[in-house]
Amino acid sequence: MLNKTIWNKQSTRETVSGYLFMTPAIVVLGIFLIVPVIFTIVLAFYRVQLLGEVSFQFAGFKNFVRMRSDERVWIALKNTAEYVAIVVPIQTILALGLALILNTNIKGKSWFRVAFFLPTVTSSAVLTLIFMWIYNTNGLLNSFLGFFGLPTYNWLGDPDVALKGIMLMNIWATAPLFMVIYLAALQDIPESLYEAASIDGAAPWEKFWCITLPFLKPVTFFVIVMGIIGTFQLFDQSYIFSSGSGGPNNATLTIVLLIYQYAFKNLDMGYALALTLMLALVIMTVTLIQRSLFKEESLD
Amino acid sequence: MIAKSARSWIWLLYAALAVYAFITFIPFTWALSASFKSLPEISAGGADFIPKAFTLENYKTIFLQEPLFGRWLANSVMVAVTVTLFNLLFNSMAGYALARIKFPGNRLLFVLVLAVLVIPGQITLLPKFLILKSFGWLNSYQGLIAPALVNATFIFMMRQFFLNFPKELEEAAALDGLNRFETFFQVVMPLAKPALAAQTIFIFMGSWNEFLLPLVVMSNPEMFTLPLGLNAFKGQYVTYWNYIMAASMIFTLPALAIYAFFNRYFIQGVTFTGGKG
Amino acid sequence: MKKLLSSLAFSALLLLTNSCRSGDKNEGAIEITLSGWQSNPIESRLLEKVIDQFEAKYPNIKVKHEVINSQYMDVIKTRLIGEVAPDVFYLDAFEAPLLMKYDVLEPLNSYIKPEFNLADFEPNLIDAFKRNGNLYGIPKDFSTLALFYNETAFAKANIQQPPKTWNQLIEYSKKLTLYDQTGKVNQYGFGITPELPRQQFIIQAFGGELVDRNHYAAFATPESLKGLQLVIEQYRHDRSSAQPSDVGASSGDDMFGQGKAAMMLSGAWTIPYFKETFPNLKFSTAEVPTINNRKGTMAYTVAYVMNRKSTQKEAAWKLIEYLTSEATMKESGSQGFALPSRRSVLKGLDSDRHSLYAPLIAGSTYATIWQAGETLPTILTNFDNQFVSALIGQQSLKDAMQKAQDTANREIYLSN
Repeated sequence: MLNKTIWNKQSTRETVSGYLFMTPAIVVLGIFLIVPVIFTIVLAFYRVQLLGEVSFQFAGFKNFVRMRSDERVWIALKNTAEYVAIVVPIQTILALGLALILNTNIKGKSWFRVAFFLPTVTSSAVLTLIFMWIYNTNGLLNSFLGFFGLPTYNWLGDPDVALKGIMLMNIWATAPLFMVIYLAALQDIPESLYEAASIDGAAPWEKFWCITLPFLKPVTFFVIVMGIIGTFQLFDQSYIFSSGSGGPNNATLTIVLLIYQYAFKNLDMGYALALTLMLALVIMTVTLIQRSLFKEESLD
Repeated sequence: MIAKSARSWIWLLYAALAVYAFITFIPFTWALSASFKSLPEISAGGADFIPKAFTLENYKTIFLQEPLFGRWLANSVMVAVTVTLFNLLFNSMAGYALARIKFPGNRLLFVLVLAVLVIPGQITLLPKFLILKSFGWLNSYQGLIAPALVNATFIFMMRQFFLNFPKELEEAAALDGLNRFETFFQVVMPLAKPALAAQTIFIFMGSWNEFLLPLVVMSNPEMFTLPLGLNAFKGQYVTYWNYIMAASMIFTLPALAIYAFFNRYFIQGVTFTGGKG
Repeated sequence: MKKLLSSLAFSALLLLTNSCRSGDKNEGAIEITLSGWQSNPIESRLLEKVIDQFEAKYPNIKVKHEVINSQYMDVIKTRLIGEVAPDVFYLDAFEAPLLMKYDVLEPLNSYIKPEFNLADFEPNLIDAFKRNGNLYGIPKDFSTLALFYNETAFAKANIQQPPKTWNQLIEYSKKLTLYDQTGKVNQYGFGITPELPRQQFIIQAFGGELVDRNHYAAFATPESLKGLQLVIEQYRHDRSSAQPSDVGASSGDDMFGQGKAAMMLSGAWTIPYFKETFPNLKFSTAEVPTINNRKGTMAYTVAYVMNRKSTQKEAAWKLIEYLTSEATMKESGSQGFALPSRRSVLKGLDSDRHSLYAPLIAGSTYATIWQAGETLPTILTNFDNQFVSALIGQQSLKDAMQKAQDTANREIYLSN
């Protein structure tokens, strides 16, 4: 009896402190992000006119039914899924690999760390110009490929490779971010774990496999989820490469580009929001699958 | 024999790192060199890394001819620093609660944090703008700062970091009679330096580079942040690549400096080969 | 931690003290806002000067000039929805039908006094901002397209005169396409921009139309294809034309300026740009070659429009009136980036400006204005998307255009 009240008291105290810790986040996210989320969910079921005379007309599932026969939605989904499937694994492995190497005693690692991070801080306008210069038919990449006798491509014009070009650019620019997160996570591994393993005579790769990797699991979950969200929301590069059309022949069309076209160019807000909701559900589903694969330990 | 193969591995490793560093370094170096070229030289399309006619004109134009440059810089620094400080505190608190405190609603809150992340910024922009307008915060610093005080991405990140945190330390703190807040500030935060350093780099860079929100919220030139102000060199018909390159250099250096500075927090830890870093 | 908290408190204080910034307003003065983009920082400064003169003439009106250089229409639309849009702003003719349809612009008919002399403006420029008899914008300036050609390249190829017909253009392009020893092209005859804003007049050359009466896309007809086929064939068969991305240039202008294309179609803005960026480039201009014996070109125009929700409409009109008056147009011009929209001013320019502008001015009488009703954004996206794929040979022009038209029309139908 006494035990139970103490336990209750403690759990109440935990609940109070839990919510106190969360208060700033709840307030700010609540105002500036949950409201937009609700806005999205509700208005996806409406025909909305926001410019001039504001009007809302309940449309039921019309916006969603329209999606089914909208060929461009499926093409965008397919492009985006392909993009996610290729970019996320490569950038995650690259980031992990770079972090592991730069966490060792190799010489000049501080320089490497700064050099590897440069793509992240270079502004996107500059990146675009540089990539135009690298990717054009007579550009650096083709000269490089030609030098080694490899096939060259029209990276910007040919739809078969346009998306690949964007992928390369994105991996190059995002991997350093995740590298930094892995570097930070590697600092938290207690040395005692490695020492104990050394005493047991574990080989370096065993230490990596049995200590480092399991320890990095939560952070890897984060890196992969953020990678998935980031790639599903690909917009900038495909906007720049196709000047907003998603062409040639929808080769660089992504879901967010489609959403942007409907929301801002055609002012068809209801449909744009329905597409957003669909995208959100897709990402959530993938994340949940992800989560069950990682079998994240629940707290207790 | 073993030593020999290990050594050739090391060389291979260095070669791979050097190649990758080359790939990351080249575009930046090219932009740096372009910032010292004239517009005709850049537009001529040459790929030279050394300017034919070295000029400081681009930087001079930006610093001297743009009367508001100092103001924009101050705005950017003010917003980025404030946002970073608040985020470090608020995201860590929220991440800690989600990872370590058991309370009803924990799971739901975590899912909500994820839900916020999956809605693309192009869509949240309009409602955010309307909310800021209803608060009367257009054209004001709080219009940029308030929505950015916490960041769902980094709440999520901090949660993942705190999941790994050794339980024993908290239990010891509890035995010492510390409550959750004391534990958090006195025990947990000091040990989370690497994660906080990573967060500082990302939040600062995110705020420093933020373009879309300032673009719609700030209409008064005095209230512009650097990316917005420097955008003036992108004309409707003509793009002044020389100024853009110089501006992007000015713009990149603070972010790079922050990164280089906070990098030291990633060096002190142990390595998987067992040696000290 | 104490340090952190005190710096937090400090920033919070900063927030509070900076929140009210509008206290220094002049009592009794009316403030209006003018928003636009800028061609370059100098143009902005010239406009500031004109505004100063305006403020001197009307001491009780203060004008706040705002420059929006990225995603201009996205920002304007967002601010219109939030009801914080500027009193007066630039509006491209291409975007005008949508804003006129949604009734967010103030009709200007009742403000215009006879001495403003509206009849002085190019009639088709005025028409671009009319809907149901209401006039919603006063054209600021405009530009047509003309043929730009590289004089040095022409001299080397022994061509004396710029092409007069499109067939000549195609012939000359072959002569002007030069290869290096390895067979790589280092100069193309003609630089193209495969986007609808540059192609609409070609669609019309053989009697085709971009849209039908109900603003549905109608460009997949044999007549339209006949015109567009000229562009495709030159690119695919002659290989004597190129798009900017083929040669690593960021725009058609840069491609021409770098000497990678000997001819191109471009507008007035290119002339001052070349003088600044490619000072050694020897180029000249001519009227766009005729297609099917018909003269044709594009015209792009921008107007000053008034926000319907403006609370200072009288002052806003005074500003528009001043900025588009004959005196102001004559005096400040557009730095050569565009042509004045008043015929009287244009005439003056015609006689005393450099002959480079003459073909552009000549084009104004037969140009197609880049505008086609409120459905144009949808049509534009789909056309650009598919036209490039026909250009690179992924599908036939007919299939590509049919697909673009069908997709556009389905979207137009569903969003109505």
